[in-house]
Amino acid sequence: MNGSFKDGKLRPPRLADQNKMSVRTRIASALALTLALSTHAATLPSDPMSVVQSLPPGGSPHWVWVNDFVFPHMTEGKAMLVDGDSGRFLGELDTGFGFSRVVLSHDGKVILSPETYFSRGTRGVRTDVVTLYDAAHLTAIAEIIIPPKRSSNMPMMADAELTDDGRFLLIYNFTPAQSITVVDARSRALVGEIETAGCALVYPTGPRSFFSICGDGKLLDVRLSSTGHAASSRRTGRIFDVATDPVTEKAVRVANTWYFVSFSGMIYPVTKGDAGLKLAPTWPLLTAAEKAQNWRPGGLQQLAAHAGLNRLYSIMHQGPIETHKDPGKEVWVYDLASHERVKKIAMKNDSGSIRVTQDAHPLLFSIFIGSNVLDVYDATSGDYLRSVDSIGTTPTLLVTAGPS
Amino acid sequence: MTWLDGLTEQSARSLAKRTSRRSLLASLGAMLVGASALPLLPIARGASAAENKAGTGQPDSRSAKQGKLDDPMSCDYWRHCAIDGYLCGCCGGSQNSCPPGTEMSAVTWVGTCHNPADGKDYVVSYNDCCGKSTCGRCLCNRNERDTPIYMPFESNDYNWCSGSSKANVAYHCSTARIVSVAR
Repeated sequence: MNGSFKDGKLRPPRLADQNKMSVRTRIASALALTLALSTHAATLPSDPMSVVQSLPPGGSPHWVWVNDFVFPHMTEGKAMLVDGDSGRFLGELDTGFGFSRVVLSHDGKVILSPETYFSRGTRGVRTDVVTLYDAAHLTAIAEIIIPPKRSSNMPMMADAELTDDGRFLLIYNFTPAQSITVVDARSRALVGEIETAGCALVYPTGPRSFFSICGDGKLLDVRLSSTGHAASSRRTGRIFDVATDPVTEKAVRVANTWYFVSFSGMIYPVTKGDAGLKLAPTWPLLTAAEKAQNWRPGGLQQLAAHAGLNRLYSIMHQGPIETHKDPGKEVWVYDLASHERVKKIAMKNDSGSIRVTQDAHPLLFSIFIGSNVLDVYDATSGDYLRSVDSIGTTPTLLVTAGPS
Repeated sequence: MTWLDGLTEQSARSLAKRTSRRSLLASLGAMLVGASALPLLPIARGASAAENKAGTGQPDSRSAKQGKLDDPMSCDYWRHCAIDGYLCGCCGGSQNSCPPGTEMSAVTWVGTCHNPADGKDYVVSYNDCCGKSTCGRCLCNRNERDTPIYMPFESNDYNWCSGSSKANVAYHCSTARIVSVAR
């Protein structure tokens, strides 16, 4: 702008200033004026009505679903789709009361969402459903009514999972009686319920099997029939030391191994083999010196993994044991074969939830429930790439294609 | 610097340029409290700590009550050693009763708290009051001895408004009922 503010008034440019304008500047100004006049003369075409975007089939491995519980208004849960490469917000799903997370079909065409609704907002008849959304148009295409027992808890990936072949959706119930609802994703029908007394959550181990964690540190190893009913159910011996150093529920999976982490930072790998579930040798995330400095894993979705790189990612912070759910400003990266730490990533913002895409050029996504800024990193180098602001209200879990 | 310090600092930077200190604190407190409706969230702990940090000058009456071990409206009240949620005493109920029109959850998680007044330890049951939207007042989270949700009855990550007739599962606030002397 030519001119200046003085005493609160905009003063015009002085003649002396005008004389200082170069010939080049004057020519440019004249050209701009001509262009403006000719543009003014053109008439813009009318925009068409009712244009609604759709998403390209198959999507991108760098798309992430940010799930939001919306704590201040819990009837209004939602999931938001963001492109990690461009930072574009692509669309959202509205997912009801006490929302946990969406589950992606293996072919990428359908999004499955366990949801809860009341007939009168926060009161009236409670109805739990699995809503199926068309992944290209983000519209509801089917609804399966399930028992109104879906657990209402801090969102965890193990609240709902698909079997390895994508056929059956398994949903954790807590009333406080514990069970698993089974839904046939192919026929889009309720199969039934499997009792899991004393055991919580769902960790798939094959096309027809999963386990739950029991309060005594044992695992409930469940095998399904071809129709999705319980074919067998047996408890293992004690796997976890729940009395002195319990593992969190926030495990990640690479191939046939689920990696759990304890409050103090020990990794407990649980493998599924022909002989059933087995605990592989445990190993520490922390050296003795780091432990003495009170370094600790924490967060809501505190671990991530990349099968191709064979790496484990863990959010870390310093604090006493009661901070085991706190976010961190660092993500430490480990080689799953050697158990060596290969990298420390300094996070731009507090990180409570992380997720790594499973493609050959993976991204690391990070968000925190107390903020709503999605940060994107190169998962291989750890380099910060970009941030996407205003993603929901209280974002919880990050979901991309591939196993949890 | 703790994560909470970072959170408050970040929020403060964005607000400080356009608000007075008093309204800044009010806005920040409202934002943190508003972000924490369900019992037992890490963010709830943050909000609670933020109220402590803010100290005097907070327009919210809660702050004046912080630090009172014998005040049921205070997060530091001795019974609240393992609570996580909105204090029902601030929502129309009390430490052992629910606000009008809500319903007390039949099951819940427990803590063992020390009463400095008589020197005894008590088992305290944190029954939620259910059936209305979140109260939003006097958020308090103290997470000691919290367990993962596969050990439900010492876990504060569940919404305990479940299975009851009217409530099922809308969460409103939390009480802190004495069950018995701990043995």
